[in-house]
Amino acid sequence: MSSTLIKCFNVAKTVSVVAFKSLLTTPRSQLPAWSQAAVGSLQKCGVHTTAPVRHERLMEFFDDPKHWSENEVKVGRAWRPDELRIKSNKELHQLWYILLKERNMLLTMEHECDDKMEIFPNPERIDKVKISMENLETVVRERNRAYHLLETGETGERPQKQMHNAFGLRCTYKSCEHVLPPFMNTKWIKSRNLGYGGRAVHKFLLKYREKLYNVKRKAKNRSRNEVMMILRRNPHFDIELLKRKYSDVDIEKLRRTDKARGHFVPKVDG
Amino acid sequence: MSTRWYPIYQRGNPQLRVFLPNFWMKLVRPTEEQPANVVTFAVSTEMTKHDVKNYLEKIYKLPVVTVRTRIALGETKRDITYGYVTKKDDVKYAYVTMPKTEAFTFPDIFVNKAEQQEKEEKSLDESKAGFRKFLDRNKKRPGTPGWYSI
Repeated sequence: MSSTLIKCFNVAKTVSVVAFKSLLTTPRSQLPAWSQAAVGSLQKCGVHTTAPVRHERLMEFFDDPKHWSENEVKVGRAWRPDELRIKSNKELHQLWYILLKERNMLLTMEHECDDKMEIFPNPERIDKVKISMENLETVVRERNRAYHLLETGETGERPQKQMHNAFGLRCTYKSCEHVLPPFMNTKWIKSRNLGYGGRAVHKFLLKYREKLYNVKRKAKNRSRNEVMMILRRNPHFDIELLKRKYSDVDIEKLRRTDKARGHFVPKVDG
Repeated sequence: MSTRWYPIYQRGNPQLRVFLPNFWMKLVRPTEEQPANVVTFAVSTEMTKHDVKNYLEKIYKLPVVTVRTRIALGETKRDITYGYVTKKDDVKYAYVTMPKTEAFTFPDIFVNKAEQQEKEEKSLDESKAGFRKFLDRNKKRPGTPGWYSI
């Protein structure tokens, strides 16, 4: 995933580099400025007093103080994928950090509320942020896939393939990179015991498949019986509706069965 | 870093490039008394000390001197009726030391809670009294709509 993300940002290299620098790197010149500010604030309130010291940057982990004792905090909805698609890479990058900080803030507040046995107002805010972040990630992924398909003809995603695990069941195997190529890595490949075999596994598979088959068989019988009972109780039922609802049942054949006939003398033509 | 999958090698430097980190961090109230410049965080269990440091320095622009971490075992609890055991998730705690010039005490969030609650109860009582008044007024004229008299 990360490689994909990286390559997406390579598309608009200049943009992403600017965003990256502005958001991720800390200019050295700023460091003394904070400490000076902090010293100033300390001198005002005094270090050894018990009065709460509010650290400017750490207060980003807390909600706005005017929401602290509220029972309800009104917020908007989550970001939708369509809204995110029209944003540039830089804007998405900035939005990610805004959402990340928001989530950390909400988690902190939730934790503190739980600790103090208070009700956390509007807990769905966390879900909204989570949905927004998921949507943002899918949008970045889409762009990345498009870029890769255009440039290399491949999706650029982590390669996956369907394999049988040790129990003989199908599963997706996500490939990962190795230092050695496969022809040099034979010992390790052998040690993984890919594939399956042995009497116990065959016995398990036999029973497992029987179980799956029984589920299928019972579902089929159930729908067949349902159709027959409907036909028995309502001889003039809408056949098209039945066909639509029970597409796997041969209704024409069932109509002629004895069970589907009600307690009346059938009309004989001619 | 993040919880995503990373390639062993990629062209160009730096090798480790993180654009969308997905780790979370909670600022929690310390259980034991700490020096003024030490802040306690609950963090994603996958995070290393370096991750915590970079996260705070780069995203929150917070000066960090050292980070110490521990993983707290989640509580196990046996069900009273059926006897099965449930376990809460393990949590990683990071004790972040800032420079001596910095100071932070965990704020008391629910200072005004009682006051707020009193205010709300008052307004609720007021509306209750108003409704009672309305009922009293309409006691002798059943069936009259509420807007009939001023």
